[in-house]
Amino acid sequence: MSSAGTKLEKQDSAAPQSKLRALLVEDNALDAALVVRALYKDGFDVSADVVQDEAAFTQTLRAHPPEVVLADYNLPNWRGMEALKVLRREGLDIPMILVSGALGDVTAVECIKQGATDYVLKDGLARLPEVIRRALREKDERSLRQHVEEDLARKVDELARSNADLEQFAYVASHDLQEPLRMVTAYTQLLSERYRGKLDENADKYIGYASEGAQRMQVLIQDLLAFSRVGRNGVATGSVDCNAVMAEVLQTLAPAIHESGAVVTYDALPSVWADRTQLAQVFQNLVGNAIKFRGKEPPVVSVLAEKNPQRWQFSVSDNGIGIAPEFAENIFVVFQRLHARTEYPGNGIGLAICKKIVERNGGRIWVESQPGSGCSFKFTLPLHGPDGAEGAPS
Amino acid sequence: MKLLLELLVVDDNPADVALVCEALAGSKLHSKINSVGDGVEAMAFLNRREKYVNALRPDLVILDLNLPKRDGLAVLAAMKAGPDLRRIPVVIFSTSQLRKDIVRSYEMGANCYVNKPGNLTEFFSAVKSIEEFWFGFVNLPPRGE
Repeated sequence: MSSAGTKLEKQDSAAPQSKLRALLVEDNALDAALVVRALYKDGFDVSADVVQDEAAFTQTLRAHPPEVVLADYNLPNWRGMEALKVLRREGLDIPMILVSGALGDVTAVECIKQGATDYVLKDGLARLPEVIRRALREKDERSLRQHVEEDLARKVDELARSNADLEQFAYVASHDLQEPLRMVTAYTQLLSERYRGKLDENADKYIGYASEGAQRMQVLIQDLLAFSRVGRNGVATGSVDCNAVMAEVLQTLAPAIHESGAVVTYDALPSVWADRTQLAQVFQNLVGNAIKFRGKEPPVVSVLAEKNPQRWQFSVSDNGIGIAPEFAENIFVVFQRLHARTEYPGNGIGLAICKKIVERNGGRIWVESQPGSGCSFKFTLPLHGPDGAEGAPS
Repeated sequence: MKLLLELLVVDDNPADVALVCEALAGSKLHSKINSVGDGVEAMAFLNRREKYVNALRPDLVILDLNLPKRDGLAVLAAMKAGPDLRRIPVVIFSTSQLRKDIVRSYEMGANCYVNKPGNLTEFFSAVKSIEEFWFGFVNLPPRGE
C-alpha cells in the first residue's frame, strides 16, 4: 500500500505478463480498476498507484517512479495536465497519457502540444495497451539516442582535449628543448673553432660529429615548432584568391625554379574559403616538392582546380621521380622521408604540414603516383565557409 | 681619454653570458661587461643597492626575458618607470620568437628586440652588432648619477 495513494494490483496465473509500474491520476476508483483490468487483459502485469492531487502525485513519483503516468483530464481537486508540469519540474522523462471521458479534439490536440504523449477515451480503453507500448518504445528509443549522443559528445570532447594537450606538449617540448640545445651547438662550434688542430685528429672528427648532430637537431626542432604552430593560432579564414596566392608562391620559389629550369603553370584557379597564409604554405610545399624531387628532365609542374558538387579539388602534378603506391600514406607523417638526406635534402615535415593545414581547413589530401612517371598531389577544400559564405567567383 | 662604456648583461644562463664575453673579447670598444643572473639582482645593480653600491650606471642593458624571480618584462617596466633609469637603452636578447613577447617588449619601451641565434657565428655577430651600433654609432645620453 502506498503511503500517498491507493495501490491496485491485479495478478493471475494467465498468459505471460510484462511488468508495468503505472501511476494513475484518477478520482474514480471504478475507472481506475477498469484501466488496470484493460491492461491486465492485454498482458501487462500491472502495479499501479492511484492519486488525486499534486502532493500525492509528487510524493509517489519520488517514492516509486512509474514507467507511465495515466491521468484523467478532469479531477475535483486537480487537473491531469498539471501532472506534466510536475514531471518536468522533477526532471523526469515519463510518458503521460490522458485517460479521460469525453475530450474534445481541440482540447486533445492542445494537450499533446503541451507534451502529453497521447490520449485515450475511457470508453475506448482497449486501445490503451498499444498506446502504452508505443510510448514506452519511443521512450526507450529516445533514451538510447540520448545515450549515444552523450557518448559521442563525450568522445569528441576527450579527443579535442587530448589533441590540444598533444599540441601544447609538442610546442612546449620543442620550445624548451631549443634552449639547452643552443648551448650544445654554440659550444661545440666554439670548441671546433678554437681547438681545431690543437688536440688530435680524432678530437676534431668527434667535435665535428657532435656539432653536426646538434645543428641537425636544431633544424628538426624548428620544424616541429612550425608543425605545432599550424594548430595554435587558429584558422583565420576568409575568401582567398588562389591565383594571387600562386603568384606569390612562384616569386618565393623563383630561385629554385630558375636553378632547375622548371616550368610551373596554373590556370583560372578559384577563390576558396581558407586561411591565406596556410594555403600559401600548402602550394609552396607542394610546388617546391615537385621541383625538388625531379627526374632527369627539367620539372614541368601544373596546378589545376576542378569544382565538384561538394568541394574544390586541387591538383599539383609533376613529371618527377614519383612515389611508389606503398608509400602514399607514409609521406604525410611527420619526419617520414623516402630518400637519403644526401640525395634530397629536407626533414620530412613539409607534407605533414600540408596535411594538417588542409584538414584544418576542412579538406583532405592524398597523392596519386607511379614511380618514374611523376606524381599528382590532390587536395580538397570546401566550396563554402562555415556560414555559407562563398569564395568570390574568380 | 675615452670613457669606458658600461654594459649590463641580465641573463640567468652563465653559458650565454660567457658567449657574450667571448663575442666582445676582441672588440676595440673596450666596453666593460657586468652581468647579473636574475631580475631582482638586475634592479639592485641598477639602483646601486647592497653589494652594488659602487656600481656605475650602465650605458646599455642587454636583457633576457625569461629570468628567475623577476622576469625581463618586469625589469623593463621598472626601468622605464624610474626617472633615472628610463634613459638607459635596453636591448631585449631572447630566444623567444613569440609575437606577443616582441610586441609587449616594444610597447613597454624596449629599444630593440634581438633573437638569440642558435648558431655560434650568428650569435657572435648579433652581439658584436649590438655593441657596434649602441657603443659605436649611437649618441648615448650622459650617464645618470
